[in-house]
Amino acid sequence: MRHRLLPLVWTLAFLLLAVMLSIAVGSVFIPPSDLWLLLTGNISGSLPEPLATYALIIVSIRLPRTVMVALTGAALGTSGAAYQGLFRNPLADPYLIGVASGAGLGAVIAMSIQWPYSFWGLMAIPMAAFLAGLLTVFIVYSLARVGRTVPTTNLILAGVAFGSFATALTSFLMLRSSGEIRRALGWLLGGASQSGWMPVLGILPYLIIGLSILLLSGHALNLLQFGDEQAHQLGLPVTRAKTIILVAASLATAAAVAFAGIIGFVGLIVPHVMRMWFGGDYRRLIPLSMVGGAAFLLVADVLARVVLAPQEIPLGIITALAGAPFFLWVLRRSKNQGYW
Amino acid sequence: MARKLILGLLTLTLVLAACAPAATPTTEPAPTAAPTVEVPTVAPTVPALTLTDGLGRTVTLTGPAQKVVSMAPSNTEVLFAVGAGSQVVGRDEFSDYPEEAKSLPSIGGSMGQYSYEQVAALKPDLVLAGGINTPEQVKALEDLGISVFYLGNPSTLEELYANLNLVAKLTGRESETGALVDSLKARVKAVDDKLAGVADKPVVFYEIDASDPNKPYTTGPGTFIDLLIARAGGQNLPGLTDAYPQVSLEQIVLANPAIILLGDAFYGTTPEAVAARPGWSKIAAVTNDRVLPFDDNLVSRPGPRLVDGLEALAQAIHPELYK
Amino acid sequence: MLRIENLSVSYGARRVLHHVSLTVENGELLALIGPNGAGKSTLVRAVSGVVPAQSGSARKNGTNLLTVPASERARIISVVPQVASLPPAFTVWETVLLGRTPYLNFLGQVSAADEGIARQSLQRVDALDLIDRRVGELSGGEQQRVLLARALAQSTPILLLDEPTSHLDLHHQVGLLELVRTLAHHDGLAVLIALHDLNLAARYADRIALMVDGRVRALGMPNEVLRPELISEAYHLPVQVIPNPLDGSPLVLPNSSQK
Repeated sequence: MRHRLLPLVWTLAFLLLAVMLSIAVGSVFIPPSDLWLLLTGNISGSLPEPLATYALIIVSIRLPRTVMVALTGAALGTSGAAYQGLFRNPLADPYLIGVASGAGLGAVIAMSIQWPYSFWGLMAIPMAAFLAGLLTVFIVYSLARVGRTVPTTNLILAGVAFGSFATALTSFLMLRSSGEIRRALGWLLGGASQSGWMPVLGILPYLIIGLSILLLSGHALNLLQFGDEQAHQLGLPVTRAKTIILVAASLATAAAVAFAGIIGFVGLIVPHVMRMWFGGDYRRLIPLSMVGGAAFLLVADVLARVVLAPQEIPLGIITALAGAPFFLWVLRRSKNQGYW
Repeated sequence: MARKLILGLLTLTLVLAACAPAATPTTEPAPTAAPTVEVPTVAPTVPALTLTDGLGRTVTLTGPAQKVVSMAPSNTEVLFAVGAGSQVVGRDEFSDYPEEAKSLPSIGGSMGQYSYEQVAALKPDLVLAGGINTPEQVKALEDLGISVFYLGNPSTLEELYANLNLVAKLTGRESETGALVDSLKARVKAVDDKLAGVADKPVVFYEIDASDPNKPYTTGPGTFIDLLIARAGGQNLPGLTDAYPQVSLEQIVLANPAIILLGDAFYGTTPEAVAARPGWSKIAAVTNDRVLPFDDNLVSRPGPRLVDGLEALAQAIHPELYK
Repeated sequence: MLRIENLSVSYGARRVLHHVSLTVENGELLALIGPNGAGKSTLVRAVSGVVPAQSGSARKNGTNLLTVPASERARIISVVPQVASLPPAFTVWETVLLGRTPYLNFLGQVSAADEGIARQSLQRVDALDLIDRRVGELSGGEQQRVLLARALAQSTPILLLDEPTSHLDLHHQVGLLELVRTLAHHDGLAVLIALHDLNLAARYADRIALMVDGRVRALGMPNEVLRPELISEAYHLPVQVIPNPLDGSPLVLPNSSQK
């Protein structure tokens, strides 16, 4: 029993480390002595400078950002694992059936409207992205359906086709807009464009629903690895299971993309690494990808803040740049040849 | 509650923080004799300055801002122009004019990403955001308890003067700015007078990017350049509708501009290179050797140098008036 | 007992099974034979619910297996497919355990009893030594035995096999069929097996159903169905049938296709 939980323990430890790193490190260097002071000083009432600024940075900037990045990473890692299991394809990632492309289109369309500066005005873009992402999945699913079944090949084809269409339309709109192209580009490159606790609250309900369902879907995904026919013959209501998993993963991905932009690589790499290290049983792979995804993205975010400080790099660029060599390193070191 | 959170999470962070990459702070919080500041905001007791910004927000300051952070190169130019240069404590990555601005600490701004931590560390009493900034960025700083004023992009010279006056009010430089605005108006009038009665309005092609010489990018209605070209006695390519359209070489040949201004000269485009482009040699501007490099910053940053830009445009378009 | 009645299946506009009716008794091994495209695999897939039927039913004790939910059907019918896509990284143990799915909760939590049944199944197919091997590393024959073990772990009264011997060498063909016959005669399962080898069918099946073009052409004891005129007509090939010198069952010998 202890042996089976060990991978999760290790990954959680890594996550904890990443969280602490994310809070301690940023583009402003907080000296350890001041950290210690904040920690042990008998603090009551107002703080002297520069501690007050450090406290502000930690509580109002780094803490909500850490939580947001962790949640985003968890959503992408889990969805990636679910998609890879659903499509039985090592190249599958959460954006395979067009969620990101659709969400991007929704966001860019929303950006072309001048919303009032208010709570709902600022929520307009993430909401448009979220709804567009879900709508895309719905359209792709409907296109792919054959009678009572949803063949995975159809899903991939429809998703890629519709996704390309949405991306092309997005690029076109961006080129035609005058000032908004920079804003759109920043959004598309990824990274929490909104700050504070609002995006966390925005993303949370969908993540809770989506990720809970996915955490319980490990056994179904194991069965699906044998193909729709064998899974059916073993007693899995295949179409229903696939639909539920698809909806849950899409919900989590759409929410993540709506608030954090398009961050690639996490959903592809993290499940692979977890599979290489800990095996392909989806009952373990899903929770491991969730925790691993959060940790990975947190580390990437720390790099984004620190490498060119004070300039911050968009998160999507870091994950792509840092993810590739990391993955190659893991691949070379992997003794487990037949891991897929 | 926040303190407990910090306590718990930072217990083991000491080692990590000590090994943190050498992200050298661009500024140490100046050891002033400032009184202790409560976290996170200070509520102004007596609203001395209340203004409405470009996003419709009401911004209130206790007095003229003494520590301003600029989020856009145009704002930096405006601040220095109104005489508030000494009150600027931080600027975005691309602020390069005037020369003194370069030595100020940077807060990021490339790729649309600013470091809010750096801004917070500078402890500004005002952040001046501009047209290139998004409402999300304004909100992020607002949430940190920092006063932000969004200076909307002007679309006419009158709106530019209004912006200058706004910034002057915010920084307590009304007297200097009055003189500045007057001198700007005088210079504009001088150009207008020179051009009065000139019937000939040569076609001008303003190039901002020609990575594909068959489909270069230019500026159209909605941009200041378009406005200034007209004010400087020229006319832009006919038939443009978008602000930054991509036009085909055929369209340019058809319009046969008398002058080509290379707004992309900064990136290495030369008149010789333009003349060598296939299909460009017959254009009037090329045959008459009137392809000129142009400092794009003079006409794309919504600041007082727009007037410099206007003068430069007038000289380029009607050199005969400046002999 | 599996009672198939008037089962019709179409792929799009093409009718593949025409009102097929047959019954497999408990304790009986019934072999499905016929040329390629006769509908043997389709029949197996339709009865297991994978392919929708346009009309007809497949019943056990009155329950129409085609209309019950998949989980309930999986407790009644188990299938050994042709060696199909097997995820190479799964171990034999993990694969066979999945056979217990109809009895597990949706999290797939396995009890000691489930593990015991899985182990027993592996033992019966003589594959216990493969238990920790990855499925991708096994030979075709070994994989087939693992699939049979998985079906056994499913503990169903009805067992369907779709051409399980196509990748096996002689030794393993005989081994598998002897095991399957024991399952029928000894354990009382109703076993329906699609076979392409006529002589194996003759030796091991209690009854044979000859399928041609989606219909049951003949159904009965081996020597009733394996008659030269029936086989020649079905396979478009002249054949001779003689008694097998070893046990007297019909032995089908193809004549040359050129007279």
